Amino acid sequence: MNIEFKALSPKCKQSITNKSKAFNINKALISLLFVSSLAACSGDDGTPGNPGEPGGPPASEINALNIEVSEVVFSSEIATVNYRITNENDEPVVGVPSATYLAAQLLPQGFTNAGDASQWQYFTSESCSNSCDGDFVDHKNGQYSYTFSGAFNGMNNIAFMPGATQRVVIKVGGDTLPDGTALPVTNQHFDWQDNGSEPAYTRNLIEMQTCNTCHNDLAFHGSKYNEVETCVTCHNADKVSNPDNVFAPMVHSKHLTGFPVSLADCQTCHVADETLTENMNWARVPTMQACGSCHTNIDFPSGQGHPAQVDNSNCVACHNPDWTMSAHSQADTDAVLAQFNAEVVSAELNGDAVNFEIRLSNPATNEVYSDSADKLDFINDLRVYANFGISVDYTTRSAKSIKLQDIEPISGSNGTYQYQIAGLTLSDDPTTDKGTLALQGRLCSNGAMLVNCDDTETTTTIDSSYQFFSATEVTDQGRRMVVSNETCGSCHGDQQLNYHGSRNDLEQQCQLCHNPNMQADASAINPAASTADYKHLAHTLHAGSRESYPDINYPGNIGNCAQCHTTDEAGILTAALPLSAAVQPLAFNDGSFTSATSAICSACHLSDSAKAHMTQQGGVFNGSEADATAGTESCATCHGQGAAVDVLKVHPIQ
Amino acid sequence: MFRFNSQFNSKRSLLALAISAAISPVYADGYGLQNANREKANTEKWECKRCVVETGFNGTISINAAYNDADDIHFGNTTGTDKDGLVAGVDADLINKSKSGYQTTFVADKLGYDAGSARLETGRVGQYKIGLGYRGLAHYDTNSALSPYANAGDSLTLPANWQTGAVTAQMPTLFDDAKQVALSSQRDRFLVDANYTGGFYQADISYQHEKRQGKRSFSGNFLTNSAMLAQPIDDSTDEFNAKLYFNGPGWLIGIDSSFSQYNNDHDSLIWQNAFTPTFGAAYTGQSAVAPDNKAYRIGTNAQISGNGHQVLMHLGMASFTQDDAFLPATINGPSPALPTTNLDGKVDTTDMRLKYTSRPLRQLAIRASYDYSDRDNKTAIKPFPQVVTDSYYAGTAMNPEYDRTRQQAKIGAKYRFSRAIYLDTEYQYDHNDYSDLDRDRLRENGLSAKVNYKISSAWSAWLKAEFSDRTGSTYDPVSSTNSQSNPYLRKSYLADREREQYQVNVSYNTNSAFSASANVRVSSDNYDQTLVGLTQVDTQGYDISASYLLNDNFIINAYLNQDWRDSDQAGSSNFSLPNWYVNTDEESTLVGAGIDYRNLIDKKLDLGLDYSYSDGQSDTELTQGISSPYGDYFAKRHNISAFAKYQLGEKMALRFDWIFEDYKDSDWLNQGLTLDAIPNVLIFGDLSHDYSAHYVGFTFSYEL
Repeated sequence: MNIEFKALSPKCKQSITNKSKAFNINKALISLLFVSSLAACSGDDGTPGNPGEPGGPPASEINALNIEVSEVVFSSEIATVNYRITNENDEPVVGVPSATYLAAQLLPQGFTNAGDASQWQYFTSESCSNSCDGDFVDHKNGQYSYTFSGAFNGMNNIAFMPGATQRVVIKVGGDTLPDGTALPVTNQHFDWQDNGSEPAYTRNLIEMQTCNTCHNDLAFHGSKYNEVETCVTCHNADKVSNPDNVFAPMVHSKHLTGFPVSLADCQTCHVADETLTENMNWARVPTMQACGSCHTNIDFPSGQGHPAQVDNSNCVACHNPDWTMSAHSQADTDAVLAQFNAEVVSAELNGDAVNFEIRLSNPATNEVYSDSADKLDFINDLRVYANFGISVDYTTRSAKSIKLQDIEPISGSNGTYQYQIAGLTLSDDPTTDKGTLALQGRLCSNGAMLVNCDDTETTTTIDSSYQFFSATEVTDQGRRMVVSNETCGSCHGDQQLNYHGSRNDLEQQCQLCHNPNMQADASAINPAASTADYKHLAHTLHAGSRESYPDINYPGNIGNCAQCHTTDEAGILTAALPLSAAVQPLAFNDGSFTSATSAICSACHLSDSAKAHMTQQGGVFNGSEADATAGTESCATCHGQGAAVDVLKVHPIQ
Repeated sequence: MFRFNSQFNSKRSLLALAISAAISPVYADGYGLQNANREKANTEKWECKRCVVETGFNGTISINAAYNDADDIHFGNTTGTDKDGLVAGVDADLINKSKSGYQTTFVADKLGYDAGSARLETGRVGQYKIGLGYRGLAHYDTNSALSPYANAGDSLTLPANWQTGAVTAQMPTLFDDAKQVALSSQRDRFLVDANYTGGFYQADISYQHEKRQGKRSFSGNFLTNSAMLAQPIDDSTDEFNAKLYFNGPGWLIGIDSSFSQYNNDHDSLIWQNAFTPTFGAAYTGQSAVAPDNKAYRIGTNAQISGNGHQVLMHLGMASFTQDDAFLPATINGPSPALPTTNLDGKVDTTDMRLKYTSRPLRQLAIRASYDYSDRDNKTAIKPFPQVVTDSYYAGTAMNPEYDRTRQQAKIGAKYRFSRAIYLDTEYQYDHNDYSDLDRDRLRENGLSAKVNYKISSAWSAWLKAEFSDRTGSTYDPVSSTNSQSNPYLRKSYLADREREQYQVNVSYNTNSAFSASANVRVSSDNYDQTLVGLTQVDTQGYDISASYLLNDNFIINAYLNQDWRDSDQAGSSNFSLPNWYVNTDEESTLVGAGIDYRNLIDKKLDLGLDYSYSDGQSDTELTQGISSPYGDYFAKRHNISAFAKYQLGEKMALRFDWIFEDYKDSDWLNQGLTLDAIPNVLIFGDLSHDYSAHYVGFTFSYEL
């Protein structure tokens, strides 16, 4: 700014500076003051700088756009929105070539009828690029103004209600500045009301960030709209002709099939967040529109599947927040699980058997359950699995197991009991190798309480767990962790996804059986989609290429390896090359093998040219085991971590 | 509040005072005899002008016949009967006195009307008296309520061909089956009483039986569906009172006791579900009605006075019991077992008062008092199964105690600066302990001051200011309710409150023809710690009244009274800080004028005409960003009452009465609504009144 003013006389500079302060007070006068300051200093060749803003020169590099709406000026019932666009370093972005402006009005909860949720009413969507519906001003300092084409009142046949909460959404980006700098698509909303004060009420239910824990950079309508606050301005009863496309019913029903976690937990999406004023609406404002979009077997007005209700006025009489929360949350499960913990306190090899000790305790009271599992009446199922040989990703595909609720311990007392799993397949040098014990089970429960299994049919599945062991003791170090329960939980909920009954430890338990000893079908087009080896299973399942899961519709970007892969101790994403030495080649049912890296990459990169590239660089497809493990693959040379075309760079990883 | 005038020290007034003090707990807020404003009373007019004892039988007996336009029975609240067309009644005022002092009187007023009365009394003046009385009291609400239900004993039944609907609009025969039903109540009160006055004692005994009949509005709920029902009222109350007082110079001691018993002819209210049941087989609902109950009360009073000091003591104890058999928790399907067959409810109350007054200086009167009252619920606390509106079992709930102990201490002084000016100040401390409420304790400190200035012999004025500040223990919302309260909610009766009240009164009163008074009052209640709930109540009001005696036979009077109340309330739709606000403006106006012209046409004609207009309305506006006013809620009434009484002969007179009333009221809750206007509430329809009605009557009276 000071540089810009160099050409001005000191007096004039003073005058403009003073006026700049005034801008801060009343930005509505920006354009007016521009005129006056230019007039006062006419004859000077200096261009006025960026009055009112401290920023320096316009941004040259733009990775993100910040739109800060300072106000909506409401004059003669026509709204003008004044805003400022900056880059990630708070440098003004000048010359944004296009924008879209949406306007909507919010009716308060209960306004349309007792029990109704608050409701958006769409007014208009106006755009500016080469031409403009309204009046667009680029103040050339990062400040912009847009005056809508007319009064909101009557637009889309909606009456503007004085005092109501209003919303303006500004969408910019997806194009470039005149100098070619690309502008990322950015949506920004601003809620206001006509009398100038803060909006008297809001409808803040959910953050886009919550959607994006599973989806990545969710955006619609040509990727223009990427914020929940934008979606609701149009997806309301006054804009969309099909009531199924009103935001809440639309979003609910779109998640009904293929949802990767229990639909009964509303808080998967309606995450508790005290900064969102209406965050608890899912429990406090039950309506037939919101509830009926998941409970699709109910026709409320005709009384099918629920006593007849013609409107929402009665819902909360029965479905009070406490009731709804208890029916739609994990609270009881969490309370039950907090009363049980199973841990392996010691383990050692004894020939081809593993001897280990288990301790069961109640973390809620810090008490150890003194009886063994077969004597505890609330244990429905408690199993322990074992496999050995993590140096080769396990020696056998069939892990051995015992059911603790059915057998007496070998010995033990006062809460610590000894068991043995025999018949392990040992690796070449068991003294330097390791194995894994995994636990799973179910507890009998009633509400938040553990109860005798004779008194209930309800069970709560415990969080499966694992323990590594060496020939002589339990160890913290064991098989590498490639995916974690946390990364899987970003979509599936933390240990909420159960397979084969109650197996939910996705980071280490599954791999005890789903290991390289599983075989692919030699005749399959995509062999990786025919083996149950964990890495291939997970890749092809999420990519939707397995015949047994035809409806998989991956919600994020399948190339974002970081959605599932965790980072190693050095902070490197586990999708990086080279692979761990323990990774084995892909085994086929005809006795052939495909080298490890090629097998993994070709699960997604299926084309012949991709295969040819891998083969040329040392990959072995359906060769002998010796060839496939000879180490001829040179993938890491170019695609290794830090290399030119690092897999971590070429994939859209976030 | 308690002003005692020590100039009243005759035995009679002392007795009256003590008796009135004994009943004071009931009328503790200023309606007791001891609170009567005797300072303004013009005792000169109390002089007995007819103390010439006449013996023999004399008096007047009258019969009247009238035309009463009771298309809308609400007019009956003015005329005393809801009978449409010709009505007749008897008035009497008869007395028979013997020379030996025995006296028998019979007084009747509109006997034959619903709101008529009669009393026969006999005895010896100043010694004993036996009385027999009757009084009818009637209240008429509406005769235009529409309901498909028919009453039969405890039951309200629907027509045999009734077809239920999930909502009111789906009840195909609703409009055909709906019949007009009147909501009104009639009370017939019979009284026998006797008193005997001895040399140093007085004994009173009385028995009253009151029978009540009629119908009132009741809401029959099935979960989220409700029907407005005309609940039958058939009950009676018997009350027996006895008092015995002894008195001597400077002392008085007495005991009074009462027993009352309430009998409800109905055991329950049973109604058919007009709706298709929401849950299960909820075809019939049953609700408990007011249970038969009994109350005993015994109290003692003592009073000692002398040398300008006076001490008054009162101790009263009462017990309220109720052991009506419980109804089953539900009549739809098997009822969960109740912990006991009846409540065996018992509430004991104790009240006590100590009051000391003194006049240490000629100009200074001081007073101090301590009041204690305690409500102790002795009913056993048990878990009662809850079957919500006869529909589904929802666990058990314990009966709350709601015990309360209230202690009040007051200290006041009245200082007379001169004959013209005095200052009366009082400090009051009010201490309440509660159980089962959101607050265990409330404390209120209050200060009041009143300056009275007699400006001249005709003009006088006073100014009164009162301040009080209420606070209490930690506000901790009860957890026994089904759904918890908003944590920011402060219930108005338990919330911290700062109250200010000011009142100015000016009166002009002379022995001449014109007198007038004016009173202006303002008050402000500020619930300063309340975020959600009632936050502010402001009131303003004034009265002006005047009368002018043109001559001995012609009086005109007029009055105007207006009051305003402005209440602010804050609420929250998201169970958090307030985001909606309600303002309620209430206004009432009462204006009237009357003339009374006597002894016209050779002293044969008396004329009277009174006109009054009253208007009450309430405007509520809810604002959550958008302002939404509620609908109409008002009542307006014009009333003209006129009479002309012509003396036909020495003993006969004919009186003509004309009452005209133009009345309108409406409540947006039912204004303009048809029976099926609310999907889940079967309503009575529009209960607004809008009528102009006349009552024209002739009364012939004969003087015996």
